[in-house]
Amino acid sequence: MTSGRMELVCPAGTPATLRAAVQAGADAVYCGFRDETNARNFPGLNFSGEELAEAVRFAHDHGSKVLVAINTFARVNDVDLWKKAADTAAECGANAIIAADIAVLDHVAKNHKQIRLHLSVQAAAATPEAIGFYADSFGVRRVVLPRVLSVQEIAALNRAIEVETEAFVFGGLCVMIEGRCYLSSYATGKSPNLNGVCSPPEMVSYDDEPNSTAARLSGFTIDRYEPGEPVGYPTLCKGKFKAGGKTSYLFEDPVSLNAGGMIAGLKAAGVTALKIEGRQRGKGYVTEVVRAFRKAVDAVEQGGDATEIDRILASQSEGSRQTAGAYSKKWR
Amino acid sequence: MMTISTEPTLPAVIRHLFPPFAGLPLGPLLTLSLRSMARRQPRLFDRLGEHRTACYFIDPVDLAFAFTVVPDAERSIVRVVRKSEAATSSVQIRGPILTLLSLLDGTLDGDALFFSRIISISGRTEAVLALRNTIEDAELSPADLLGLSGFLARLADTGILGALSVARQMANRNSRREAPGA
Amino acid sequence: MSGIALTLGPVFFHWSPGLLSDFYRRIADEAPIDRVHVGEVVCGKRMPFSDPVWPEIIERLERAGKEVVLSTLAAPATVRERRSIEDLCGDDRLVEINDATALPSRAGKPFVTGPFLNVYNEASARFLIQRGARTICPPVELSLAAVGAMAGACPESEFEVFVFGRLPLALSGRCYHARIHGLHKDSCQFTCEKDPDGLAVDTLDDQQFLAINGVQTLSNQVQAFCPAPADLISRGVRRIRLSPHTCDMVEVAKTHRALADGREDPEAARFILSCLDLPGTLVDGYALAKPGWQAATSI
Repeated sequence: MTSGRMELVCPAGTPATLRAAVQAGADAVYCGFRDETNARNFPGLNFSGEELAEAVRFAHDHGSKVLVAINTFARVNDVDLWKKAADTAAECGANAIIAADIAVLDHVAKNHKQIRLHLSVQAAAATPEAIGFYADSFGVRRVVLPRVLSVQEIAALNRAIEVETEAFVFGGLCVMIEGRCYLSSYATGKSPNLNGVCSPPEMVSYDDEPNSTAARLSGFTIDRYEPGEPVGYPTLCKGKFKAGGKTSYLFEDPVSLNAGGMIAGLKAAGVTALKIEGRQRGKGYVTEVVRAFRKAVDAVEQGGDATEIDRILASQSEGSRQTAGAYSKKWR
Repeated sequence: MMTISTEPTLPAVIRHLFPPFAGLPLGPLLTLSLRSMARRQPRLFDRLGEHRTACYFIDPVDLAFAFTVVPDAERSIVRVVRKSEAATSSVQIRGPILTLLSLLDGTLDGDALFFSRIISISGRTEAVLALRNTIEDAELSPADLLGLSGFLARLADTGILGALSVARQMANRNSRREAPGA
Repeated sequence: MSGIALTLGPVFFHWSPGLLSDFYRRIADEAPIDRVHVGEVVCGKRMPFSDPVWPEIIERLERAGKEVVLSTLAAPATVRERRSIEDLCGDDRLVEINDATALPSRAGKPFVTGPFLNVYNEASARFLIQRGARTICPPVELSLAAVGAMAGACPESEFEVFVFGRLPLALSGRCYHARIHGLHKDSCQFTCEKDPDGLAVDTLDDQQFLAINGVQTLSNQVQAFCPAPADLISRGVRRIRLSPHTCDMVEVAKTHRALADGREDPEAARFILSCLDLPGTLVDGYALAKPGWQAATSI
C-alpha cells in the first residue's frame, strides 16, 4: 500500500555510479557484491565488502537508502557464500536485502531480523498466493513485480496483498519471466540462476562478413547488421529468428522499457516504489535517467503530470526505441 | 599501411603538457604513469581482477602507431607498436584518439560509441567489459593517467577536456544520425 | 531389477481431448511407467478443452496400476487459474507444484516440485521437504552432479532428473504463437494446437536452436540423457522423467525401462531413440554440466 511519496530506486553498478545516483536524487540505490550472489555478475562490476560499507555511509549521509541484491540462487554445497554475503550486507548497515532463493530468504529471516527483506523479481511472485507464501514464511516486506503485469493487474494485486510493491519503470526489458529462464545456459552453459549472468560476454562474438556483421552467442547467430548500422549486444531473447516461415524479432523487439508516462497510473495502482534498471550502465546514463525521473516523480507527487519525461529520456534507450511494455495490455 | 615516423607524435595539445621527464619515449613514459597510478589507486586494479594480465591493443585510427597495454598494477607495461601487431593481444580497441581519451574520464559513453560504431572492439569481450567497468568507476582525468599534479594537472585537464568537448559534440551528432526511427 | 522409477511428465503442448485420450490409453495399456503426470502446465486458456477428459484418463491409468500425479500451472495469472490450482491442491493424489502460488493451498499435504520451481541447493530443498515435498525434479539446467549433491544431502526425499524430451527453457507473459500470427494472447485462436511438439525457431543462419509452444520456449533439440543406472544410484537419484512428444512414447518408455534395468546400455538406448520420429537431434549437455545444446555422447 502506498501512503506517502513513491520511492525512486536506482541502479548502482560501481561506487562511482552509486554516488552519481544518490546525487542525482535517488531515494534508494541497489547494488550487489562482486561475485555470483547477484544477477549482474559482469567482469569489473559491483562492490567489495569494504566498498559497500563506504557506499552505505555515503548514501545515508545524503539521505538515501541502500538495498543489496543477493538475488541469485545459491549453488549446492556452496550456500555459505550467499549466507556470508547476507551477513556482510547486514554488517554494513544496508537498509534491505533483495533476495529470491528460499535458502537466502530463510537465512536472513532467521539471523538478521533487523534488516528488511525485499523479494526479488527473480522469485517471479505475481499472485497474491505466491506473495503471501513469501510474506508468511520469511517476513518479506516488499515484492519487486515481474514485468508481465498490466497496470490494472497491479492495482488488483495491491488490493489483495499486505506487502509493498516495487515496479520497474525504465531500462532493459526481460521478456521471459525472470528467475525461470534457461535460454542462456542452453546456448552458453551460463545463466542468471546458475551464474548471475545472461548472454555472458565471453561467449559473444562480432563477426565481420562480406556484406554484414553477425552478432553471435556461442556460435548461434543472434542478429545481423548492415555496414554502418548500429550494432546491439546479442542478448538471446532480443535476437532475430526464423519461425513459421517468417523472420522477425520473435521474442521482443530491441526496445527498452520506459513507463515514465505511467507514473501517475502506477501510483494510483498502489505501487510504493519505482525501479530503474541498469546496473551495467555508466554514470552519465544513470545520472541523466535518475534526474529525469526525480523531476517526473516530484511533478506527479505535486499533482502534475510527467509527459516531459519522454522527451528527456528519448536519447537514452538502447536503439532509441521505447515501449511501455506489459503495463499496456496490448503487449501480450 | 601508414609508416611510423621515428618519433611518435600526439596531437600538439597533449604533447605540450608532458611532465618533467618528457625526454622519455612514449612507451616508458606511459608505463611509468600507469604504475604510479597503481600505487595511488590500487582499488582500480583490484576491480580489473584477472583481466589485469590481459593485453589490450589500443589503435587510435588517426595516429600512425598503436599501443599495447597490460594493466597489471605496478607491473603494468605500455608499448608503442605498429598497427599490424594486434595478433598477440586479447582485445583490440580502435577509434579516434580524442574519442578514446574521452572514454577515460567518462565524458563519452562507451556503450553508445560502440553500438554506433565510432569505436570498434574485438577480441575477448569479457576483458573489454572489465576494462570499461573499471574505467567507469575510476573517474579518471587525463592528468591522473599522465601522472601530473598541481598546475600542470589543471592545465592538462582543461586542455584535453576542452578538446574532448568538441569530440563529444561530433560523436553525438553522428549517433543521432544513425539511430533507427521510433 | 534396478531401483530406478520412471515418470511420464505432463504434456506441455496443446493436444486435443481426443489425442490426449488416445495417448493415455496406450500409456495405461502398454508403457512400463510407474508414475504419470496429467494436467495443463503451460497455458490456462487450454484447460476448458482438456478438463472434461481428465477424469476418465485418470481412472484408466489407475486401473492399470499407474500412480497419477496432478500437475498444476507454472505461471498462473487469472482468478480462474488460481482457483483451479486451489481445487487441484485439495485432491488426495500427489500434486505437482510448478509455482509458489500452489504452496499455501497444499499446506500439510505431500507434493512433487516440478522443473519450473527453483530448487538449486540443499537448503532450499530441505525447506520444501519440510513442507511436504516428496519428489523433487529440479530445473533442467542443473547437472546430474548438482542434483546428486542435493540428493546426497536430502536422503529423505526422492530426486528426479529430466532425461527425455524438448527442454523447457522459459515462460513468458506473451504468447509467441499468437505473436507469429499477428494476434495477442487474449484472442489467440489457439494456433498452438497446430504444433503438437512445438514450432521450430531457427537462427538467421538456419541453425536449429529453439522451439515455441504458446507462452513457452523450449529447446529445438531433444534431451536424450540415457544415464547408466549405476550413475544415478551412486548419486542417490531414483527417478527419471520422460516428457511426452508425438513420437512413440511407449517405445521411449520401454527403452528407458530397459536402460534403467541394465538390459540396454546408454549407447544402444540412444541409438534406439534416434530412430524414432523426434522433433530434433539428441543432446545431453545439461546433465554433464555443459551448455544444454551439446550433443549426446557417452559419459
